[in-house]
Amino acid sequence: MAGRTTRGESLWLRYMVLGSWALVCLVPMLWFLSIGLRPRTEIITPQPVYWPTFSLDAWHALWSDWPIGAYLRNSVLAVAGSVVIDLILAIPAAYSLTRYEYRGREDIGFYILSTRMMAPAIVAIPIFFLFRNLGLLDSVWALMLVYAAINLSVVTWILRSYMMDIPKELEDAARTDGASDLRILWEIIIPVTLPGIITAAVIAAIFAINEFLFTLLIASTANAYTMSVALANFTGGSDGIIYNAIALVSFLAFLPIFILVVLIQKNLSRGLTMGAVKG
Amino acid sequence: MRALFPYLLVAPAVTYLLSITLYPGIYAIYQSFFLVRFNEWIPVGTDNYVELFADTEFWGALLNTLIIGGIALAVECLLALVLAYFAYRDPFIRGWRIVFLMPMLFMPSAVAFLWKLAFNDGRVISDLLMRLGLISQNIDFLGSVPLARLTLIVADVWQWTPFLFIIFVAALQGQDQEIEEAARLDGARWPQIFWNISLPMMRPVIAVAVILRGIDITTMFTNVYIMTNGTPGGTTETISYFIYRQGFRTFNFGYASAAAVIMLIITVVSAQLIVKRAFRSGRA
Repeated sequence: MAGRTTRGESLWLRYMVLGSWALVCLVPMLWFLSIGLRPRTEIITPQPVYWPTFSLDAWHALWSDWPIGAYLRNSVLAVAGSVVIDLILAIPAAYSLTRYEYRGREDIGFYILSTRMMAPAIVAIPIFFLFRNLGLLDSVWALMLVYAAINLSVVTWILRSYMMDIPKELEDAARTDGASDLRILWEIIIPVTLPGIITAAVIAAIFAINEFLFTLLIASTANAYTMSVALANFTGGSDGIIYNAIALVSFLAFLPIFILVVLIQKNLSRGLTMGAVKG
Repeated sequence: MRALFPYLLVAPAVTYLLSITLYPGIYAIYQSFFLVRFNEWIPVGTDNYVELFADTEFWGALLNTLIIGGIALAVECLLALVLAYFAYRDPFIRGWRIVFLMPMLFMPSAVAFLWKLAFNDGRVISDLLMRLGLISQNIDFLGSVPLARLTLIVADVWQWTPFLFIIFVAALQGQDQEIEEAARLDGARWPQIFWNISLPMMRPVIAVAVILRGIDITTMFTNVYIMTNGTPGGTTETISYFIYRQGFRTFNFGYASAAAVIMLIITVVSAQLIVKRAFRSGRA
């Protein structure tokens, strides 16, 4: 049965379906990349231009007209800081939720999970007032704290899933040798959970880079604008939206994320489901 | 001390989360009983709620969220299931996965601009449809209710189908191959095997994935903010955008908080009913 798999499903159909979707993914991306590499005069035209002139106008404009360096710095600082906060809080929390038996454990775990369901819009106004009263509006610190809060549930649940896989005997052996609980956490659990920690960190970083609503409310100048929200402000007054700059910044943010995700590819599905699927 | 230790380990995380859920929740409930004018808070009792329940824009936003989110979620689920089924035993699965997940790795604000340009500002979609001879003149995608909603749905489907795809592939790869093999030897054909064996086995995973996607889709904000601003006539305004607009465009904070409280109640109830169960069975 040439051209057929063992299941009797035709290969032709399979590659038609998969190939079409690959085009659906790639064509808009490549077109958007071409937007970033063309002059502004060829973007909004009476007839769309499909074969544009190559131009680095947008790249030069990014550096001369916009504080793109500041946007990059803000994104990196806020995201990295938030991931560090998350790990510091989530590692002991996940350890507690998996390695001890105590009253209320399930409820605490579920409470942490349930914060993932909280819509940003529900808490947006109180959080805005909170940071205003603290004098933290338009600061990277506020973003760091908010991003950490958004991702804490995800990070804790991913780590919880990985820690549940560690056989109890590993700890018991160390415990009979007289090691304290904290030493077991530091010297056994953390090294063994490292793939989970990396997965959780990457996923938290992606969500943080993408965050829009809170950043929109908190940031108002280059002091705190991140790449995600700066995009929405690439307008040149009467010239309208500066799409080529937007497209370039989009790919600028895409590249590091893409590399990180390829690195954790094996753990991605487990991370995205907060540990519910073991990929 | 020994008995307290596990609580001490989990306490910092819980405290941190309470400060961004419990504190804002109470704050929103409190504020929803006030008329907030700059720094002046005038108590108005339940006026905000009375007004809200009579506000067609509020009910409209709830309905829009359900329509746009519901259609997008259904399409994403179906596409992801079909794609995952065809891809999971393909020798090039790693390649497919990398290509398919790319849209998910762009910032949502970037994806919103991509489709805003394609549908509206750059008229690319209209032009392509005209070249194919399907339409005879430019379409104004923001001029009609179903088309404006369609642009939001397309943007969401394009970006987030990969999320479900990746999870479904993992679920299919992780399932017991022997059951399928046995069914095949008994003469079952692949659609039967998929429908009667693979799909039921995937159910817990599908539930978790759909819930996670459902949470994000019902809180859709960025695409509305960038692509439609709720036009035409508020028919693409989601509930998140409604709260934002009431709060930060018209500075009607008390009113916006009342809407947030309603959303909070819906969230808490559905979390208790659906999510708890799904995540329990998801780990079975």
